[in-house]
Amino acid sequence: MKRSSKFGSAVAIAAALAVVATGCSATSSGGQGKPDSPVTITFWGSYGNGGNSTQQDALNKTLIPAFEKANPNITVKYVDIPYDDMLKKLTTSAAGDELPDLVRADLGWVPQFADLGVLVPLSDAMSDFKKLADATYPGSLSTNLYKGKYYGLPLDTNTRVLITDQKALDAAGMTAPPATFDDLKAMAAKLKGTGMSVFADSGLGAWNISPWIWSGGGAITNDKLTKSTGYLDSDKSVAAVQMLVDFYKEGLIPNLIIGNQGATGTSDGLPGGKYATILDGPWMQGIWSGQYPDFKPIYAPMPAGPGGSISVVGGEDIVMTASSKHQDAAMKFIRFTQTEQFQIEMVKTGQMTIIPAFADREAGIAAYYSTFATQLKSAKARLAIPQASKVDTILSTELTPAFKGEISVKDALSKAAAQIDQLLAGN
Amino acid sequence: MTTLTTGESVTGRAVGLPTTARPALRGRNHSGRRFRSGLTPYLFLAPGVILFAVMIIYPMVQAVQMSFFDWKIVGSATSQFLGLDNYIRAFNDPHFWLSLTNSGIYMLFTVPPQIILGLMVALLLKKKSPTQPFFRVLFYLPVVTSWVVVSLLFKYLFADSGLINFTLGDFLHLTNGDTSWLAERWTALVAICALGVWKGIGWSMMIFLAGLQSVPQELEEAATVDGANRWQRFKAVTLPAIWPAMLFVVVMLVIGGFNVFTSVLLMTGGGPGGQTDVVLTYMYQQAFSFLDFGYGSALAVILTLIVFVITVIQLRLFRDRSGESLA
Repeated sequence: MKRSSKFGSAVAIAAALAVVATGCSATSSGGQGKPDSPVTITFWGSYGNGGNSTQQDALNKTLIPAFEKANPNITVKYVDIPYDDMLKKLTTSAAGDELPDLVRADLGWVPQFADLGVLVPLSDAMSDFKKLADATYPGSLSTNLYKGKYYGLPLDTNTRVLITDQKALDAAGMTAPPATFDDLKAMAAKLKGTGMSVFADSGLGAWNISPWIWSGGGAITNDKLTKSTGYLDSDKSVAAVQMLVDFYKEGLIPNLIIGNQGATGTSDGLPGGKYATILDGPWMQGIWSGQYPDFKPIYAPMPAGPGGSISVVGGEDIVMTASSKHQDAAMKFIRFTQTEQFQIEMVKTGQMTIIPAFADREAGIAAYYSTFATQLKSAKARLAIPQASKVDTILSTELTPAFKGEISVKDALSKAAAQIDQLLAGN
Repeated sequence: MTTLTTGESVTGRAVGLPTTARPALRGRNHSGRRFRSGLTPYLFLAPGVILFAVMIIYPMVQAVQMSFFDWKIVGSATSQFLGLDNYIRAFNDPHFWLSLTNSGIYMLFTVPPQIILGLMVALLLKKKSPTQPFFRVLFYLPVVTSWVVVSLLFKYLFADSGLINFTLGDFLHLTNGDTSWLAERWTALVAICALGVWKGIGWSMMIFLAGLQSVPQELEEAATVDGANRWQRFKAVTLPAIWPAMLFVVVMLVIGGFNVFTSVLLMTGGGPGGQTDVVLTYMYQQAFSFLDFGYGSALAVILTLIVFVITVIQLRLFRDRSGESLA
């Protein structure tokens, strides 16, 4: 039966995991090595993503050797995994009980894996957790919170700020980047008909849309994460999104935002003079210095609305797995990642520190960090729930027709809120 | 046509290889060696069968099992048995119907062009000429090129400032050259289907070329003598002779059409707003983004059943038709 093999390929993707899921049923042991016997801990991360070797080099050639020198019995084995494969790799490894001791996890994954029961709550396991946690940015720390316990510590952070350049400001006849929603509206009015978009973004997920809603004084849910209706579709949330939709209808935001994969990306559109402003992270500096050496980005805070200037927290957390056999050694390494030595070494490679006390040293390394560091003080994290990726899908699915003018913003946000309510009810 | 002998595979027959070309491998009744030589073919088959069982059959059975559960991937967690809940959920899920419709549209709009164009190219390249091997390679190249590579290539071709818009706008002046192909459901499906047809023509061409070898030359000549024109000769002589190849191509292309995945994932990612999702991208999202393996498996099983039923219907229709034309 030739066709069976074809059928097989149709289901194999979903099913391949099952082999791992049932093939290995090893019990996990939380046992810990004797204090003095040499141990090796494994640490997975995506520092080398995009062919960037500087961060891996800093880790492998400077930081890990320094840690091993201070802890002669511990060897740290860092394994680099491409970011795009990481979630799949973690999922299959969790199924096969093959997880490493430590993972540098995208902060959106922490509740997802905490929910699966494969992570150790560090707030229970580490006696000095509170001291370490208090030193970090609250927005970054909150991404580790799941059902009252912290499952990780922030490792590096970033946020989105407004980025523009002199060419765009000149085109709009402005002397400074738009500091408020009203400034942005004025800028849009000036740019109408010039062919330059006032703002561009590449999606309508929580990462994209939250800064506008929060700065507009709205919210995605209530603080207890139990209800979205009444928050996501509140008047303030609607007004903030309506501003973007109005820009879109006038052709002042490109259809990149509704997911047109054929549109010019933000990293090309801003230097290319197509887009006047974008919201983006600290990594753009490195991308532009390679591709557009003459481009001089101007960094400014997220434009303030009725709710202030509030952006979204990004970055990575470090988590310890329940299957780790060397949890004491792993926690020693976690403590090491929170030191000034580790944090500053990584700042040099483009990773922002999660400890506000080091912000001055950070700004000394590269001045543009200071805008991000200031923004981080008020930046908020996305919903720390296991279904965070579903929230992204809901938001972009419901908001796309609103941008296309098929339904009202209020209706779109009400529909999205009702679906998010259901997710929250399941937790 | 005679019934299949043991050495013949369904595909071997379908591509129209002459049955007489196969020597009878029947020297196995030498006294005393019956058992050993009887075992030999099975030993040769064993590695393939074992691999097939472990890599294909076992995951398939597992997927069916998972589809009845709220499947937890971690071994220590208990998966809750849901019965048919995942299937009922799919039935009431408008996005599943949208994705199934998109898969169906892709199948409908890629299979006929691949058959017609593939057959036309095969007829053109049947005649011997110095350039014929060159063109055969040229048409077959897309087939062997990676899906990832050609998907990205087509994504750039159909980009807002891509070659398609340039050609239509600046060159042919048919449009303003500002069509956002990948931003709307229907235009994005056009781009995805165009890739499917372009990449698939070479494959059906190859099968038809093999089938055309079995067209009896005497019949062609006799028909010409009888005064049949080209179309009549094609209809009465060529088509019946390549009917088995046609069956094979249609069945495989329909299955392949419903299985479209890589090109959609890479060209639109199912966007905008999930409007270009096909069943497999939706299934992939459920399983690997949302870790909802039970629902993802249910979607896979439903697709398998749909394809299975369609294939059975096709085989029946073709069997009746081929009996008629070859009688």
